[in-house]
Amino acid sequence: MAERGQATVELVAALPALLLAAMVALQLLVTGYALTLADGAAEAAALALASGGSAPEAARQALPGWADEDVSVSVDGGTVSVRLRPPSPLAAVADRLAVTSTASVRAAR
Amino acid sequence: MSFTNPLGRGPTVFVVPVGEAEGSRAAAAALACEGAEADRPALLIEVGGRPPRPTLLATGVAQGLARRLGAHLPQARVAARGQVCHLAVAAEPEGWEEVAAAVDVARGAPAVIHLPPASLQDALTSQTGPRPSAVLLRADLDRDRALVGLLVRELLPRGLSVAVLKSRLPWVGERRALFGALPAANPAGLPGRMVRRLLGAGSESGQALILALAGALALIAAALALVAIAGAVTGKGRAQRTADLVAISVVRSMRDDVDRLLAPPRLASGSPNPNHIDKRTYLGRARAAGLVAARENEVDADRVEITFPDAGSFAPVRAKAVITASLEVGGGEAVQASAEAEAAAPYGSAAGGATGMASGGGYGGPLVYRDGEGMRPDVAAAYDRMTAAARADGLALIVVSGFRSDAEQAALFAAHPDPTWVAPPGHSLHRCATELDLGPASAYAWLAANAARFGFAQRYSWEPWHYGFATGPEPCSAAGETSTTVNGAAAGSSSVPAFVPAQFRPTILRAAARWGVAPALLAGQLMAESGFDPNVGSPAGAQGIAQFMPSTAAAYGLRNPYDPEEAIDAEAHLMADLLRQFGSPELALAAYNAGPAPVEACHCIPPYPETQAYVTRILAMIGGPGLMPMPSFEVRLVA
Repeated sequence: MAERGQATVELVAALPALLLAAMVALQLLVTGYALTLADGAAEAAALALASGGSAPEAARQALPGWADEDVSVSVDGGTVSVRLRPPSPLAAVADRLAVTSTASVRAAR
Repeated sequence: MSFTNPLGRGPTVFVVPVGEAEGSRAAAAALACEGAEADRPALLIEVGGRPPRPTLLATGVAQGLARRLGAHLPQARVAARGQVCHLAVAAEPEGWEEVAAAVDVARGAPAVIHLPPASLQDALTSQTGPRPSAVLLRADLDRDRALVGLLVRELLPRGLSVAVLKSRLPWVGERRALFGALPAANPAGLPGRMVRRLLGAGSESGQALILALAGALALIAAALALVAIAGAVTGKGRAQRTADLVAISVVRSMRDDVDRLLAPPRLASGSPNPNHIDKRTYLGRARAAGLVAARENEVDADRVEITFPDAGSFAPVRAKAVITASLEVGGGEAVQASAEAEAAAPYGSAAGGATGMASGGGYGGPLVYRDGEGMRPDVAAAYDRMTAAARADGLALIVVSGFRSDAEQAALFAAHPDPTWVAPPGHSLHRCATELDLGPASAYAWLAANAARFGFAQRYSWEPWHYGFATGPEPCSAAGETSTTVNGAAAGSSSVPAFVPAQFRPTILRAAARWGVAPALLAGQLMAESGFDPNVGSPAGAQGIAQFMPSTAAAYGLRNPYDPEEAIDAEAHLMADLLRQFGSPELALAAYNAGPAPVEACHCIPPYPETQAYVTRILAMIGGPGLMPMPSFEVRLVA
């Protein structure tokens, strides 16, 4: 079928656009997932803070291994902030999309 | 269906008869009719054909196109017929220029060019003529199959869409097509699929683009939908997280304040103890801590409900937080997230006096051991009184079995799966730490006659050895561990080991209650220090029943170390401070013996043989550190 072949050829031409859209969608999802992870890590860190443990360590333990390089934990009194860069092929994009989750608790004295 | 493409160029279709096939002109006219729309005529060009005649039934747009063509191409033979504008050109190179010009003038209208087979080669190779997007062959396949095959094979590599009309249209269809009045979807016309293929070929690239765009949009829409769902899930998760954090903050405050709650309200001098807080203040401070945590986690105080499940006990250590959150996604539906937390001794940890903590049964609290069997401290106290009475009657009671966790009960039941004799796991009263299997058999009669005096009841008529402690706090529920950690510890304060001489019992109990230290711990210490001799001294200079050094005695306001009443009170005060400082009875004992500095330095029992033996001896004497009223609590979520 000549026509169908042509359509396929033109679809191939449109493939980069399609691929780009797919990557944008995937990046969005990964970012959302990173936010969920950051939420969990912030809670784990806050709970550690309440029982006198190490908040950064608890946050790291609550995250999967790949996040070790991409996470930064800051503690201010009873407030823990977990900043997580989502995985991305482009470092600049990952920096721009970094998500932050904050949790507060009464810290151990 | 519109066949106009976004670039403004209409499809250009060649219609060519093959061999002697008839009806190609009518087929071309039918295709043109299909391409025409109400506001846009189609152009039908006859190459080397007869000049057309206009009909009366021509649409305005067709006549308009005919006028424009006439203006641009003065020599052209143009006629509007129905929806179609007919144009006849000569089968010469000049004719091709006219065709190209006509297609330009028609601007986006579908152009159907009917040409004889002889002109096809010229038409395809011409530099001036319009480039076709599709070719319709009118061929009788029975006769000219080979010829059609050759043609198709030549046309396909040029990127053309090719269709073959195997038979001429019905007579009516042909007549109407030639008059330019063949309505779409007319059964007498060309098959719809063929029409779409031929006229749609020119706009296919646009379709592919639209397809790709639609695909991309669909992908992004799907991603956004997922993000919305994830947002709802995250909202619920956030509410739950806040509930957790509020509950843990409340309990953290309790953990920080519980020693102040338990501190004696009045000092020895009779003035109010500034360190003491009452239960109302204690709970108020805990609630305030929870509300602060809620606010810092961006939840309004009016959406938080904090309750204390064990508020009735004298030292509550549990808190429940419920957060009502409304989610934007899902119709603003309100969801509730609740969390419960407690301050209690660590699970299964040997540090901080957890060895005497019951777990895995219906009771979770300190255990006191008699004959190696665990029981609730108040049960142990009652048992001690009963043993003393039995001894007076010449009987030596022994505990055969006390607290059993569900796991131990399961092992027992597996060995004797008869419910009459061994209760299934979860149903045995032994999980409550209030039940004792007593011996020896010679004492059964005495027990039956006397046990009730000490608060024990025989549970089953066929088990003369099984006695339960029927007074005191409620035995455990089947639901699981009850939190009687602190209550149990308090009950333990009525437990003074049997080795304590009677004249010191009231003093020890008073001092223990006043300073919140286990009486067993004080008693064990006195035994180790002086053997309850109020007048003893030591080569190092320690004095009296509690072996105070003069400097320590002065620091605790102890004027006469040889006065047991005063010395025991100071001992309890010192131990309370050391327990608070070091958090575990082992370390407090070590600090009492060796001084706080070496213990502080290593946060361990210092490696002095004397100190280590001292700690070990006392812990062994009082049946493990489970008697401590305040083991090092941790805060944790329980639900």
